[in-house]
Amino acid sequence: MSAGPFKVCMLGDFGVGKTSLVSRFVRSTFSDKYLTTVGVKVDSKEVARPGRDPVKLVLWDIAGRDALDSVGANYLRGASALLLVADGTREASLASALNLLMQARGLLPNALAVLAMNKFDLLDRWEVAPPTLTQLRRSLAVFETSAATGGGVEDAFAAIVAGLAP
Amino acid sequence: MIDDAALPPLVRERLRALLLERSHALVLSFAPDWTLREVYGDAAFHGIDAGASAAGITALQDLFVGIDIGDDQEIPFVELANGRSVHVHLLADGDCFHLLLLDADEARATQRSQQQLANEAVLAGHAKSKAIDALRNIRSELERQRARLEEANALKNALIATMSHEFRTPLTSAFGHLRLLEAQVPAGGEGHDALQAVRRSLTYLFALAENLLEYGRGEAGGGLLNPVDVDLDALLADCEAMFRPLAAAKGLLFRARLQRSDAASPRFDEVKLRQIVINLVSNAVRYTQAGEVALALRWADAHLRVEVADTGIGIAPEFQARIFQPFNAGAQSGSRGAGLGLSIVRRLVEQMRGTLALQSEPGVGTRFELDLPCAAASSAPLDTTPLQGRVLVVEDDGDVAYLLEAAFEALGLDVQVVGEAVAAIDHALAAPPHLLVFDMNLPDLSGCEAVYRLRAQGYRGATLMLSANASSDARDAALRAGADRYLTKPIDFARLEATARELLAQAS
Repeated sequence: MSAGPFKVCMLGDFGVGKTSLVSRFVRSTFSDKYLTTVGVKVDSKEVARPGRDPVKLVLWDIAGRDALDSVGANYLRGASALLLVADGTREASLASALNLLMQARGLLPNALAVLAMNKFDLLDRWEVAPPTLTQLRRSLAVFETSAATGGGVEDAFAAIVAGLAP
Repeated sequence: MIDDAALPPLVRERLRALLLERSHALVLSFAPDWTLREVYGDAAFHGIDAGASAAGITALQDLFVGIDIGDDQEIPFVELANGRSVHVHLLADGDCFHLLLLDADEARATQRSQQQLANEAVLAGHAKSKAIDALRNIRSELERQRARLEEANALKNALIATMSHEFRTPLTSAFGHLRLLEAQVPAGGEGHDALQAVRRSLTYLFALAENLLEYGRGEAGGGLLNPVDVDLDALLADCEAMFRPLAAAKGLLFRARLQRSDAASPRFDEVKLRQIVINLVSNAVRYTQAGEVALALRWADAHLRVEVADTGIGIAPEFQARIFQPFNAGAQSGSRGAGLGLSIVRRLVEQMRGTLALQSEPGVGTRFELDLPCAAASSAPLDTTPLQGRVLVVEDDGDVAYLLEAAFEALGLDVQVVGEAVAAIDHALAAPPHLLVFDMNLPDLSGCEAVYRLRAQGYRGATLMLSANASSDARDAALRAGADRYLTKPIDFARLEATARELLAQAS
């Protein structure tokens, strides 16, 4: 018996690592070859919790975009949580993720939102300054993640699980 | 849109057959509780078990989590478990519903190839503009540094010029009046010895002032040469005028000669050349009690050879290296100077790309030989005040951690050592230390990642990164991540102390 399932949509600009984060989380795999996602790929994972029922997350890996169109909005229907993904080496992708969050809020006012600042393994090329994340943390759970190394990935999804099934 | 009912039956049939074939349409009919009732079409093509396994059904069911299946739904471009893409339509139908899957693989491939090209172009453009920005930043930083250096150099030159003037003007006056007095007092006359004493002192003061000014210029600034045509006859005459009386007063024979076999005019930094010769001759006269001092200049093959030989006390072999160190007073038996002269000579000879050779035998004499090619080239007082505050050292190597702990404790600081970055982050956030010292390479997170995470969570304390990597890239990465300072291993403890003092002073 598991809690859920909960639909979690990965939202972010293209090339920020949404598909890679899902691969790392669900299959513990990573490829550095960039292949753009068209449409949506749906995966699921039961997240174990010590002494409690596991939680099933259904992960919607949606094609990257910097603004929601009607197709993108259609994909969001029924989502309980949004995992916003931005690429630390492209500051503009953070603005895209926040823009997507604002638009998604119109459709999903109560959805849980978590921000994954991805590509932490490339910290020497980051454009996002630490104070920016300090500010964001006042209103949003923020995790520095690396799909390449796995760093921070479990923590980001664990925060979603904790928020959906406290 | 075509009204298919109006189409001729033959066309309608062909169209229907074509659409069904090309779309690989698959229909799955379900009861409201997702019990599979019927399957129509090629389920295997879509990687769905014809027996509709529980896993297959669950995967389809996951598509509608959170969505009311009482209404028609359409989800375009869904990637299935077998990698193919389909358009999924949910059709509500009274007490059941149907899922219609239409193959979209070809359309997806077309869209993907176009999108991939477009996205890669944007990513490449971003990388290119970053590279251009980086180059632009490097160039403006270089320009800023050059401007700062020029400004500092101009200030230093102005100071040195002023100081030189301040020293030289009264010395010139004193030498001039001394000469007038010497002309009025014949050798052996009353006061002659006193005038000789004044000359010795003035000569020493002149050499000392010039040496201190040269020393103050430093290695970098002093390396700049100002070559001019040098009048070697005048140089020789000045040396004779300056030292012959001093040598005569000690009963020494002073010989000075110039050989010239190159018709070209010698070009050297005249001030530096004079300083070299004066230092060497001054030393020779000072350390010779009997015999002679000889200065020989030879200008040949675009090289100036300077030879200064004496029959003085000589320099023991064990002191011959030390005499070129600054402030070496005592290296030479019976020395009375500041110990700067020969170190300045060596520095100036190196700046002029020349060579310097020394031959000496105690009790016999000393000979310096220089070969100069024609030109066509401080530390703050130690602060020992005990420090106060807490230091968190994050270092996984036990030996290094021990050394750091001992070093910081010796400065009066409270030290805590942690071997892992994640634990250190927790410590630092729970009880921010006055100084955080991170090793760059830690087992769980790199020092850079840890410092970035701390900064991104609002940590503002002083942070020092230690690393065995001496590259500027590594240093820049650490500073970008949020470290205040970057020091390399092996640890220079004096520098570590100075850095800790600086950071703690800033933090307070």
